[in-house]
This record gives sequence, C-alpha cells and structure tokens, in this order.
Amino acid sequence: MKREHIRNFCIIAHVDHGKSTLADRLLELTGTVDSRTMRAQYLDTLELERERGITIKSVPVRMNYKSPDGTDYILNLIDTPGHVDFSYEVSRSLAACEGALLVVDAAQGVEAQTVANAYMAAEQGLELVPVINKIDLPSAQPEEARRELEEIIGVDAHDAILASAKEGRGVPEILERIVRDIPTPKGHPEAPLQALIFDSIYDNYRGVICYVRIVNGRLKAGQSIRFMATGRECLAEEVGVFKPGMTTVQELEAGEVGYLAASIKTIHEAHVGDTVIEGGKTDSVALPGYKKVKPVVFCGFYPVVNEDYPQLRDALEKLQLNDSAIQFEPETSSALGFGFRCGFLGLLHMDIARERLTREFDVDLVATAPNVVYQIVRPSGEVFEAHRPSDFPDVGQIEEIREPYIRLTVFVPSEFVGKVMQLCQDKRGIFQAMDYITPERLRLSYVLPLAEFIVDFHDKLKSTTRGYASLDYEQVGFRAAELVKVDVLVNQEPIDAFSFICHKDAAFHMGQAVVRKLKELIPRQLFEVPIQAAIGKKVVVRQNVKPLRKDVLAKCYGGDITRKRKLLEKQKEGKKKMKQIGRVSIPQEAFLAYLNIGKDEED
Amino acid sequence: MLGKRPAIDTLYIGGGTPTCLDPKQWGTLCGLLEEGLSFSRGAEVSVEANPDSLQDGHLAVWKSWRILRVSLGIQSFSPSALRWLGRLHDARKALDALESCRQKGFWVSGDLLFGIPGQDLAIWHKDLQTLSHYAGHVSTYQLTAEPGTPLADEIVPTQSEGYPFYRFAQWYLHQKGFVQYEVASFARGGQWCRHNLSYWRQGNVLALGPSAWGYVDGLRYRNNCDLDGYLSQKGATASRWSERLSDDDRAREAAILALRTRWGIRWRSFRRHFGEKRTRSIHEILAGLPRDLFLRRQGCTAFSPKGFRVANAIWELLV
Repeated sequence: MKREHIRNFCIIAHVDHGKSTLADRLLELTGTVDSRTMRAQYLDTLELERERGITIKSVPVRMNYKSPDGTDYILNLIDTPGHVDFSYEVSRSLAACEGALLVVDAAQGVEAQTVANAYMAAEQGLELVPVINKIDLPSAQPEEARRELEEIIGVDAHDAILASAKEGRGVPEILERIVRDIPTPKGHPEAPLQALIFDSIYDNYRGVICYVRIVNGRLKAGQSIRFMATGRECLAEEVGVFKPGMTTVQELEAGEVGYLAASIKTIHEAHVGDTVIEGGKTDSVALPGYKKVKPVVFCGFYPVVNEDYPQLRDALEKLQLNDSAIQFEPETSSALGFGFRCGFLGLLHMDIARERLTREFDVDLVATAPNVVYQIVRPSGEVFEAHRPSDFPDVGQIEEIREPYIRLTVFVPSEFVGKVMQLCQDKRGIFQAMDYITPERLRLSYVLPLAEFIVDFHDKLKSTTRGYASLDYEQVGFRAAELVKVDVLVNQEPIDAFSFICHKDAAFHMGQAVVRKLKELIPRQLFEVPIQAAIGKKVVVRQNVKPLRKDVLAKCYGGDITRKRKLLEKQKEGKKKMKQIGRVSIPQEAFLAYLNIGKDEED
Repeated sequence: MLGKRPAIDTLYIGGGTPTCLDPKQWGTLCGLLEEGLSFSRGAEVSVEANPDSLQDGHLAVWKSWRILRVSLGIQSFSPSALRWLGRLHDARKALDALESCRQKGFWVSGDLLFGIPGQDLAIWHKDLQTLSHYAGHVSTYQLTAEPGTPLADEIVPTQSEGYPFYRFAQWYLHQKGFVQYEVASFARGGQWCRHNLSYWRQGNVLALGPSAWGYVDGLRYRNNCDLDGYLSQKGATASRWSERLSDDDRAREAAILALRTRWGIRWRSFRRHFGEKRTRSIHEILAGLPRDLFLRRQGCTAFSPKGFRVANAIWELLV
C-alpha cells in the first residue's frame, strides 16, 4: 500500500465522552471486526479496563477502508487512555500519529482533560478533527460545544462533525474526514530504517513485543536490527500489524504502524521511545524520544508470605514490561521484610498495578500507604529525595522539607463553585484564577500540594459536584511546607510501614483516624495490644485492642479428633493471610487503612 | 485384636440414639457384649439416651448389667429453645428422664447448648441450675452452623459471642462443686468420664459399629458409615478410613489433646514419649504466651479457666 493511502490517528476525549464507543463503530463500519465477534469496548482487552469502563493501555488497530470514491486506505487507530494518570500513554501514542479526532460530548462540552490532551496534540503538530459526539442526547447542545471548542481550545470548529457514536450517526463522515484532513505520513520507504517504539507489551512466548511506527525505510521479518539507545542487535523474528489481534506480515514500511518481536527478554533492552535501525549501522539518527516520566506517588509492595519475594519481583518485572511508567527498587521494612518501593504516576495507576499483580500474576501482596516524593534540606544545605517516611532523618537533621505542588484546573458549573473552592482550601490549595467560560460554567485554577490531591481529591470533587466537574493538573515543582512524620506503634513497636507524613496541623487528627481504624482491623490477640501514634518521641494518640475473650469450639464427638485437627489447620491457614509482626497478626487491609480514612469520615 | 481379648477399662455406647433399641433388644446386646469382651475390674460403662425414647425398661436392663452412667441429650429446658432446635421432647420429658435415672442410682450426665437465638443469661442460668441438680457431669456446647447453611445467617456469627455463656458456666458450676476437667466438661465428685479422657490421652480405643472411631498404637481409623457396608466387612477390614500420624504430628496432637484436660501436659512423661526436641518446641510456644492463660504446677502445664476460654487460639499455634 502506498504511503499516500495510510492514515495514522488517535482519538482524544475526556473520560466518558464516548471514545471507546466511537472506536467500536469505526471497527464495525470498516468491517475490521465482524458483527458476530463485536462486543462493547472492543479494544479494552484488559479485564480491569472492561470492568471499570476505562482505558488504561493504548491499543493500536488497523482498519481497511474503502472510500466512496473507490480508493482503498489503511487507517491505523491508536486507542488511548483518558484518565489523567495515564496521560504519558497519550503523549507516546500521539508521536505515532499525524492526526487526532478531538471528541467532545455535546451535553458536557469541553472538559479539563480535553484541553490538556488537545494542547499536547497541537504541540506535536497533529491535525485535529473536531467531533461533537452524543448529539442524540436530549440535553445535547452542539452549538454550545462548537463555541467551546473554538473559544477554549482554539480550533476551527465550523465544520466539526456532529455525531452519535451510539447510534452510528456521523461515523461515515468521520472516516471521510480522516482521509481528507489528516496528512499522509512523511518519510521514505527507500531511506534507511528508522522506527519509533511507542509502546510495548510482554508475551510469555515471544518476549517483549514492541509497538512500532516506521518513520523511514522498511522493517522486514528476519532482518537484523539494532536498538539505538542500548546498542543491542538482534534479529527481527516477527513483524506484523494489528487487525485487531496480531497478524504477521512480511514487512512494514515507512508510514505504517505495527509490531516487532525479537526474543527480547527484558524491557531494558528495548525501551519505549527508542529508535530501531538496521543492524550494523551506527551512523543513523535517533528519532526524538519521550521525556522519561517520573513517578510522583510511591508505596511499598510486600509479599504476604516472605518466601514469595522472588515471585513478586518476577511479577513486577513482567508488569513493567507492559507498563514502563512503573518503577521499583528493593526495600526492606523491619515490619514487613523484603519488598519493593514502587513509583507510580498517580493513585489510579497504583491501584491498577496492585490489582493486576494480584489478578494476572497471582501474587498476594500487602501495599503500604502511598506517599509523594519529598525533598529534604539538611542543615548543611544538602538536598536529597525521600521516597518513604523512613527516609526522613531525625528532626534535628532537617532544615526544610519540600513537597511537590501541582497546578490544578477545574471546570465546574457555576452552582458548585463555592463547594469546589472550599474543597481546594481544605486541601491546602492556593487560589490562582477564576474565569467564566460560559455564563454557567467556569474554570478555577489552584496551586495545591500533590500529597493532598492524591488521597481522595478526585472522588471528593466528583461527589460534591455530582460528577459535573472535571479536572486536569500539571506539576509545578517543590515548595517548602510544615510537615511532620507520624509514627504508628503496635504493641510498643514502631511499624515502619504505618508511618506517614502529613501537615503538622493535621497530625493529631490523622493519627487518631489511623489508630481508630487499626483498632477496628486488628483482631483480638491472646494479649492486649496498644496502638499508638507518635510524633518523634511524643505519643499523641493511644488505643488498645482488648485481648481475645473466647475462642473455643469444644464439640468433639467421641474420637473424631482428625476432623478437629483439620479445623485447626484450616484456621491456621486463614491466619497465614495475615502479616505476622512481632507477636501480632495484622490483616492486609490494615496496611491500606489510610487510603480509606478520608472516605470513612464522610459516612 | 479381639482374639487377644484385652481387658476393657471403659465402654461407651452412643453416637446416635441407642434407645432406639427396645429393652428386649438391649437384653440381647448386653449378652453379646458380656460374651465378646472381657472387662477389667471397675470398668466404666456409659450409655447415651434420648429423653424422648427412654423407657423404664431400658433403665431396668442397664441396671442389671454393667451400666454406670447414662448420658442424656438435654440441649435445653427452655420450651422456646427446644422448639427452635426442632427437638421432639419437651422439658417435662427431660426432667422425668433425669429423675428416673437418678432414682435408679445411675451416674447422670447431660449436655446443654448455648448460643441458641433468644437465649439469654437468665435462661442459661435456669438450664445449668436444673441440670446440675440432677447430674454429676455436665457438658456445654456452643451451637454452631456450617458456613453457608441457612442456619449460619441466623445464629450468632462469631465464637467470641458465646463468651458470657461459657464464662458463666465456668463460674456457676464451680459454685456448685463441679470441676472443669475438660474444655467442655464439668464433673462433680470425681464423676469425670474416663472414656472421654482416654481420647485425650491417646489411649487405645476399639471402634465397634458403623462410623465409630478407633485408635490403636498410633493408627486412627473410622469404620464404614453405612450399616450394610459395615456388616459386609469383617473385623479389622471394617475400617473405611485410617491415618497414621508421623511422630511430629503425634507429639503436637498429644499436646493439644492433653491441654483439653485439667491435668494438661505432664512434661516428664511427654519428654519420655516424644523426645527432647519436640518437647522443647511445644514448651517454647506456650512460654511465649501470657502467663495467666495457664496453671503450672508439679511439672504440668494446664489451661487456667481463662486459658480454656481461648483454647482454640492456643491450639492453633501448636497444630
């Protein structure tokens, strides 16, 4: 197929604006997926994605399209995640495209994330094709949405396509506009090979599979290739396209999107953003890669049973192959033994990683309370990063603590503006700006500590605005703050995994909430267990778990001792799911208690 | 084994409703047992009876043979509790049965259930008061339901909920001169059930009849549960299931079983049976627990009343 007949595009939309439904319609209309195998959210293949109704992982798919004028085209769609935690996936996918459908909900209008993603696409030089979706809704206001597209994002929306992906309206027009408006891929098939790895997944049989966009030249199955960043050379064992599902082809040429398998065992040999060139060549030019994303939220992952440590490491490595934004390094906790400090892009990202480890890799793990990355200034002026509370030195060794801040943009209907401002203030936000987008909707801007944001800001915003607000944020560096480290002691022993950092004004309140929650979660033991929260040496909260009063199942019919023993063994097995710390058995939920404290307070 | 005719120290006829047999059939059974077994002097022979089907005729036959103790499945004297349990007998029948057994001079044993919906401390007190008036041996059980059965939703969910009842039984029966000689059993005047104790001491027990459990020198077995199946097999082959414990498992089980009783673990003999290493590991586990859970005297470690109440949690550490 000639390059002139290839179009590479992605869909940019806010969560719930109908991106996955629109993708489904495109697949159907082009006959890529026949109606028998069609199911909703076709491209979301992860069990978690379908369950939660979100897209986590970018998935490319190749569609054959015959234009009404009789020309055959290849359309490569790269489906991208919508949640702000995964915006790095979006940015990578954009680099493999020449254009993007900018989808806006006709009833909701432009949302915070639509803006952020559209800006990113514009920055990369992509052609934007505006689509106003969900025009079938009774509350649809397409003209309003059109005006917002022009006034907020600044695209020419006079010929924005009016569509209803649900009913299939406007979809043929979208296909035509992709062909008409999105530029043909540049690059030359006869030039030396240059291919960009824009994503990768791990396959148990074939190793790392790189998703590539061929920028110049050809990539043939069986040819020798070189990864520029690592210098590693190997054979391209298999190349193919997504039809959907991987289908092998003989070669990929400039302009095409496909995949490459070369028995690569670890992600370090072929990272996302690297350029693939011909083997033996050293004078090629690397394509612009990606900024390496930096995790901002950290937490510890520990196996429930210490012996499972190698299994957890294995699982993390495999997960990283599918999600290069995850970082991890070994760490030791006096309470939990050997585990890993893991870095994530946000709380949802962390939550998803935890669930995938449990489900896909079958690892029982304990996750400690998440925290952000801190900068600590020593009296000597030396600055270092703290990834966990135990990195904090004694108070005397701290000159200043700095925490990461974000600039938060919230789009909100004017009736909720007071509540949202209150929420931002409660979260130590500093007001920046407020402007009316329309008489009914405004944009609020705050600078706010990331630590306050990650816990439950999103949930609280959704509930106080009945889901009508949307947000986006970007990091704006570190600022000094009055923070303290609160230690939690169980049975007089400080449990490092329970320590947390918080603003000094919130220490007592948070300490109390944590202790109360732990008291609920830690089952009665054979002795009284005190639970305390302390700042430095000073205990600020104390509660006791009363000792077990009765636990005796005495019935034992004559001689039926075996059954009794089996019962005891079963009980003991159940307790193994708990983490044994000193003499105290602590259930896994306790380690996540902090996550839910904010929510419980509302109930 | 029967061939050697070892002397029988204790015999327990139960695990069902032996009073299903009428007095005449009982006469035959007694004859068979007398003929087939040889009893040591002072052998303890007990029989289980259901207040509903117990007749004076039974008592007469039993009295004329070796029966020392009659164990009655009382469960409760409270009409509402009995109704809830779906028991056939009413409280009156239970009282009559107790009275007849006592008049005939049997040792009387009864069991009571707690944790029945609607039961409160007052009802429980009345139950204990009534039974302890007639019986020299009282067993208390908590009503339990298998998880997932409809009953499980209805009755108290956790074992700790039974605390007040169990605690009260310990206190009350002690007032009435009973000694808690086993985790679920209380006896007055030395009327403890020696047959039960032989289970807890890993003594040899011969299983007779379908679904009976036996234990011979480390081999635990169970007879075929089905009567026809049992009858079609003969002698030792009647066992449907058996297990032989490893020495380690046997030591742990011996410790758990010994702790069921007020005599607890006698360290010297334990060490002699199971060796220094196994003894020490068990000793260490117990030594790490709060002291008030145990009574330590004369080279023995046994549960204190408080220890009995959390026995499960402690056994779990030993299993």
